[in-house]
Amino acid sequence: MALLDVSGISVSYGRVNALTDVSLQVNEGEIVTVLGANGAGKSTLLKAVLGAVPVKGGGITFADTDITHAAPHKRIGEGLVLVPEGRRILISLTVEENLRLGAHMRRDGTAIAREMDAIYARFSNLAERRNMLASCLSGGEQQMLAIGRAMMAKPRLMMLDEPSLGLSPLFVSKLFDLIRELNHDGLAVLLVEQNTGKALSVAHRATVLELGRVTMAGDPKALAADPALQAAYLGTGEASPA
Amino acid sequence: MLAQQIVNGLMLGAIYMLMAVAFTLAIGVLNFLNFSLPGLFMLGGMLAYGFITLGFPVIFAFAAALAAAALVSLLVERFAYRPMQGGDPEVPLVSSLGFLVLLENLMLIYFGSDQQAFPALVPDLNLRFGGLVIGIAQLGSLVLSVLLVLWLSWFLSSTSTGRCIRTVAESRDTAVLMGIDTGRLVPLLFIASALLAAIAGLLFAVNYQQVSPFMGEGVGFKGVAAMIVGGMGSIWGAVLGGLLIGLAEVLSITFIGADVVNITVYGLLLLILIVRPQGLIGRPATREKL
Repeated sequence: MALLDVSGISVSYGRVNALTDVSLQVNEGEIVTVLGANGAGKSTLLKAVLGAVPVKGGGITFADTDITHAAPHKRIGEGLVLVPEGRRILISLTVEENLRLGAHMRRDGTAIAREMDAIYARFSNLAERRNMLASCLSGGEQQMLAIGRAMMAKPRLMMLDEPSLGLSPLFVSKLFDLIRELNHDGLAVLLVEQNTGKALSVAHRATVLELGRVTMAGDPKALAADPALQAAYLGTGEASPA
Repeated sequence: MLAQQIVNGLMLGAIYMLMAVAFTLAIGVLNFLNFSLPGLFMLGGMLAYGFITLGFPVIFAFAAALAAAALVSLLVERFAYRPMQGGDPEVPLVSSLGFLVLLENLMLIYFGSDQQAFPALVPDLNLRFGGLVIGIAQLGSLVLSVLLVLWLSWFLSSTSTGRCIRTVAESRDTAVLMGIDTGRLVPLLFIASALLAAIAGLLFAVNYQQVSPFMGEGVGFKGVAAMIVGGMGSIWGAVLGGLLIGLAEVLSITFIGADVVNITVYGLLLLILIVRPQGLIGRPATREKL
């Protein structure tokens, strides 16, 4: 049984269908990436898995529990967290308050303190600025803070929505190293990315969305070699990028 | 003479301060100018008066009045605020104003429109410092109000629930993505602001020994003025604004005359809006709140 099992979900905004009959699995210890053009429904898929948008049909199970209609805070409590698009750092809170916010549903104070120390040890930039407002962080630091905040919820599966967006190439490399490390430590990852090459290089499996439907799924190496995908997303084919 | 009036102004200001903080909680976090709050202020005073005249012990009367205000505030949340989600922010403003009119008229039916004399509960004991005379009730009210605001400020800055409230204040969408249960938090905020308003109403009744179904209007609107003078969305702004409005009111009664009170108070509001539209300690164009 997969850790996350999305089977045949549909989502619509008013009369516009954002997702149609989308299925996807993430197993324990896996990195799965979802690729697709802007507007293909990638962010909607993550929000539906989190419960921030309602699904019309199909079902979602997480860790053998049906969560199709559970509220977001219930799902996060089960260990399913989202690092949202655009990072969504709270700029009126300090760096440390942002981290603590990630643990707001937990009551195990000593474990929270230990994990916060571990996050500071990993991200020394955050440790130095722990009492400053999060608005003074650079884009890359904000992304680290967003990931640190998600880790504070003690996740089993972390969903990342376009984490490399707007980052310098150096930070993009650091980011994908970090995703690999977290995964190596046992975290399952569901990654939505525009940076198709990088995403395929870290993923164990990949799924391609087009206009809200799954059009391809499978081994990332095979997908990377697929001429249609190359043409559409890797920019090496002859067709113009989507 | 002047020192005495300043003391009196601060006492009155403490009540405006509680009202301004109640409004600030609602507008700072929920972006909702909750006009039922003056009604809840009135309920605090009127219901305490009602229970006392029915012969209940004072402590019970106070507790029942506060509980009733909290309960009514939950009704406001359920029927004026929640159904209007996603619409214009002005819509719940109008429906909450409906609650104010409803509450006033319900009290009017039962008690009539006259001022009622609230019994003197605190012994008429005055502390004298040099020429200053400070009533025990006045001093107690001021201390209680300040402690309440200090506690609230600590709660918002230092507890997990406080951080969640500030997150909702900054961005409701982000709060949902962070797993904050707004369905639990929003009613909590309605209860908190109702208690602040009702406690202000109780203190008003105890200090000035009079209650009426319309007692909330004057104080409520001055609470809104205090919030704007201090800076919308900032608790310390509400504190400063409340005390200033209280001082302005008492000093203008003493030195100019009772007829010009509203001119002074709302003139101050107008002046602030012209000179410093963001309020005394409000910051323009940031998302920072509370």
